[in-house]
Amino acid sequence: MSLFDKFEKTAALYNSLSEMGKNPFAVVMEEVLGPTRARIKGRETVLAGTHNYLGQTFEPKAIAAAKRALDEEGTGTTGSRFANGTFAGHKSLERALADYLGLNYCVVFSTGYVANLGAIAGLVDPSEDVVLIDADCHACIYDGCQLSGAETIRFRHNDPESLDKRLQRLDPKFKGKLVCIEGMYSMYGDIAPVKEFVDVAHKHGAYLLVDEAHSFGVYGAKGRGVCEAEGVMDKIDFYSGTFSKALAAIGGFVASNHPEAEYLRFSSRPYKFTASPSPATIASAHAALDNIALTPALKAKLWENARRLHAALTQFGLRLAAPPAPVISVLLPTKEEAFAAWNFLLDRGVYVNMAIPPGTPGKESLLRLAVSSAHSGDDIDRLVGAYGQMAEAFPSARVALAS
Amino acid sequence: MTEPGVEEDNDLVFHRICALLAPLNHKGVTLTRDVDLVADLEIDSVSVLDVVMEVEDAYDISIPVNTISEIRTLGELVDAIHAIKKGQG
Repeated sequence: MSLFDKFEKTAALYNSLSEMGKNPFAVVMEEVLGPTRARIKGRETVLAGTHNYLGQTFEPKAIAAAKRALDEEGTGTTGSRFANGTFAGHKSLERALADYLGLNYCVVFSTGYVANLGAIAGLVDPSEDVVLIDADCHACIYDGCQLSGAETIRFRHNDPESLDKRLQRLDPKFKGKLVCIEGMYSMYGDIAPVKEFVDVAHKHGAYLLVDEAHSFGVYGAKGRGVCEAEGVMDKIDFYSGTFSKALAAIGGFVASNHPEAEYLRFSSRPYKFTASPSPATIASAHAALDNIALTPALKAKLWENARRLHAALTQFGLRLAAPPAPVISVLLPTKEEAFAAWNFLLDRGVYVNMAIPPGTPGKESLLRLAVSSAHSGDDIDRLVGAYGQMAEAFPSARVALAS
Repeated sequence: MTEPGVEEDNDLVFHRICALLAPLNHKGVTLTRDVDLVADLEIDSVSVLDVVMEVEDAYDISIPVNTISEIRTLGELVDAIHAIKKGQG
């Protein structure tokens, strides 16, 4: 029995969520009705808890490209990128991503999670290198460090000075130093001061990897991410991203101006030992990439929606985690209240994400709204309506007013 | 002089850690070197990492995540800090 004992506490919490109401971790989209609508528990619901930032899940050109790839290349590659799973489509998507980013090299992985795992574990040698990571980095960056076996040091979230101190006191025995941060952090929707991190990392001879999973396609004049918005695309060392958000497929990539990034193809076990993305996946990701590059109006619409929602939620007095961004999080004092508020919204036909400690920064419980360019005026009205009622019903979600 | 709830121990590091843990010690557990941070104090693994960040800034040292994941008790944390202070100082 001892194998399962450790799960008891979590299992009790998980099961109690289902008893108290609907379990945020067991939601099923019974029928998908469009990029921003699905049927959940029999009810048509506005999706504001998916990361379909540029609304590409039903882009006709992407669907047509995926169908063509299915017909012409079959359902799967049945092999890994390293061995027998690299088709012409994988290579041309790598080229297209590098061009989109204005970087020279790009390596496609099977998921975004795997891309970071593969980049970190493929780049660092546990016997001589060290990794320094922002404390709020995504689980895949922590897991990449663990897989690498290298010494890993955390620095305070979005605090270049904290990184500076830790680089300063590093044991000189370390040869390679890799710093990992994200562009936009997905829990709060807050942005990294990438330029300052570039300066600190390079001052100490460290390499900088920026994960732009949530900011690719969304930030910067050309949609290259927070690095572009901060004017440091050519200063960072490695750029990682995913196909599962703005590109609405599944897969990930690492791009760089270092020719040695190509070494990941033999140094990275997460590249070598898992099946490559299917032809249809690659085709839809490529078509979505072409589409977002040619249609800047998508990004403009996303930001228009984000600003409108952020302004409305601010008006309701809700306690928001960050300035306007494609992720808008409302903070709640306890996980019980977050759970009740999450159910309250779902009962009003609005699906968002609930996040509770320990998966959140600073012990906060939060409701995370992810905005899409595909949210219609009607979708936004429903979101605003439901959040307005929530603000009334849950005073603890509001900013305390001075009496 | 010993604060109430803190076992007498002449180690300054130990006392400093106790002060950092105090706001998280919701159950009022008497803090000894044998207290298990996760099991006894019911501090989740991420909070342990955050306490360690405070410790790092207090002592101007870096404690690798790899080391933290092996630490179970308050005494082990104190010993790790001593070892790192020695190595980095």
